Amino acid sequence: MKEILKKVENRQLLIEISKEIYDKKAAMAAAYKFTDRCYIYVNSTLENIIEIYFKAKESISTPLEKIAYEYCNELLDQQVRLDVEASYGNIRDLIVKQAFFPIENIEEQIKT
Amino acid sequence: MKPYQLLPFRFKRFDNNKVFVVNETGEFLFLSPEQFNRMISYDLNTRSPIFLDLKSKHILTDTSVGSVIKMLATKYRTKKNFLYNFTSLHMVVPTLRCNSSCRYCQVSSKSANAKEYDMNKATAKKTVDMIFRSPSPLIKVEFQGGEPLLNFKIVKHIIEYAEKLNSLYKKHLEFVICTNLTLITDKMLKYFKNHNVYISTSLDGPKALHDKNRPLQKRESSYDIFLKNMRKVRQHLGPGSISALMTTTKDSLEQLPAIIDEYVKLGFHSIFLRALNPYGLAKKDLTALGYSTEDFVEKYKLALNYIMDLNLKGIHFAESYAELLLTRILTPFSTGFVDLQSPAGIAICGAIYDYNGNVYASDEGRMLGAMGDDTFLLGNVNHNTYKEIFYGDKIRSLIKNSCLECLPVCSHCAFQSYCGADPVRNYVEQGDIVGNRMVSEMCKKNMGIIQHLLELIEKNDKDINSVFWSWITKRPLNRTRGKQENISF
Repeated sequence: MKEILKKVENRQLLIEISKEIYDKKAAMAAAYKFTDRCYIYVNSTLENIIEIYFKAKESISTPLEKIAYEYCNELLDQQVRLDVEASYGNIRDLIVKQAFFPIENIEEQIKT
Repeated sequence: MKPYQLLPFRFKRFDNNKVFVVNETGEFLFLSPEQFNRMISYDLNTRSPIFLDLKSKHILTDTSVGSVIKMLATKYRTKKNFLYNFTSLHMVVPTLRCNSSCRYCQVSSKSANAKEYDMNKATAKKTVDMIFRSPSPLIKVEFQGGEPLLNFKIVKHIIEYAEKLNSLYKKHLEFVICTNLTLITDKMLKYFKNHNVYISTSLDGPKALHDKNRPLQKRESSYDIFLKNMRKVRQHLGPGSISALMTTTKDSLEQLPAIIDEYVKLGFHSIFLRALNPYGLAKKDLTALGYSTEDFVEKYKLALNYIMDLNLKGIHFAESYAELLLTRILTPFSTGFVDLQSPAGIAICGAIYDYNGNVYASDEGRMLGAMGDDTFLLGNVNHNTYKEIFYGDKIRSLIKNSCLECLPVCSHCAFQSYCGADPVRNYVEQGDIVGNRMVSEMCKKNMGIIQHLLELIEKNDKDINSVFWSWITKRPLNRTRGKQENISF
């Protein structure tokens, strides 16, 4: 596996991810899930890169590398969520609308 | 062209290398990672069993999307049925006085002779008038305290005035009194029988534990009086007329099986293993009373196993929180638990009227009020109109910020259909009604328990399935077993 973690200083790591592959929303949603264990800073560079800085919270004994690798898997899942959501378009909205206020010509409203 | 259309779903990877996939209305399947990858890559054979399973759970479709949307919308509406009736649970505090000195008292109750904390007749009348403004066809009036029997005169006044009003409104009217039972008399029981009042009480476990957690101010054994009066209640009102709740303290956590045995011994058919809530004295004395959420969830799992074994030995006995969650997981129906709704059930499902007429969005909101924080105070029956209290800016803002569908993390959580928002708890823990789920103790507890139940369901074990269905259908195991033996989830 390509070395993806960069040690910034003691108890701090940096992961750089490509905007061509990952959406900013996925990077943010994944980062949020680590806010119990880390202080996180997300930054965007001009070179199509999103930087995620991790600094372990004082009370956390889990190695920061492990947390950062977990982030990579979470990032994948968040990206899958976004991709799948894009594929079913407005179906979720139509379900909720139809539940409370029936929609006429529902087939015509579907955008997938 | 895609061979099928994916429908809205959420997913979560479990430790057993299974991917839990769930649709918008809580119908789910467990997939292998390989099956999951093929599903999202549109690579499933549309005649394969897994495809047909996913199709039957409305996670994907190869037929008309419009028809599936209509079907899912009907299911969604059923799940959100609690929204239709508006407030049905109305908790009333006839007095803050109490004759107990519970170690974890969450409502800052007052001494038994502090009569300035009694609800007066005028406030009681206005409270009932306010309750009957609710559009709900079901009105449940639940008396809480303090110890409501210390102001029995007002309890009677409220019951009788509510019955009088209901002769006009014709709603389904129920009364519940939450009491420690120590002051209940034959005369009161006769009254409760005549007015169909249901009794809810507290039992923390065997004598030593109950007396330690719930001492009386007069230093008698609260357990002995509880036991004597519980029998009296059953004699007067019938065996099913009384239910009990327990609160788990640090001492209780180590003896959950003994507490369960006590409930069984005393003829109860269920127990609600309730974690300590961080309000009132419980918050002040967390060192002596508290424990970590992780500890609670681990002990809860062991206790659940213990209860399931009892059922398999022929004792019909349910764990109420699991029963509630299983109903949400395994049936299409809505359940009426205020703490597990989205939007939150505060005010729109249940509201509480304090002794002085103050109306709070929830009992926990009142507990905060007793601690000097009126964030969840909606108004006062003596000074505000129904519209100001129940349709005001405060309640609108609270509800708007308590929809799981748009809260961070909850919005894509695979357990969303089974869970609920608790803005009061978020506020208490984090000083913010939205809160950060990653540091939320309530989220940690619900995630742990829901995941455990799902893992048990995934085992597809005949015995476990039978016990779960006996809880959901509220029928003894021997009456559900034959029917469920061939059913898998």
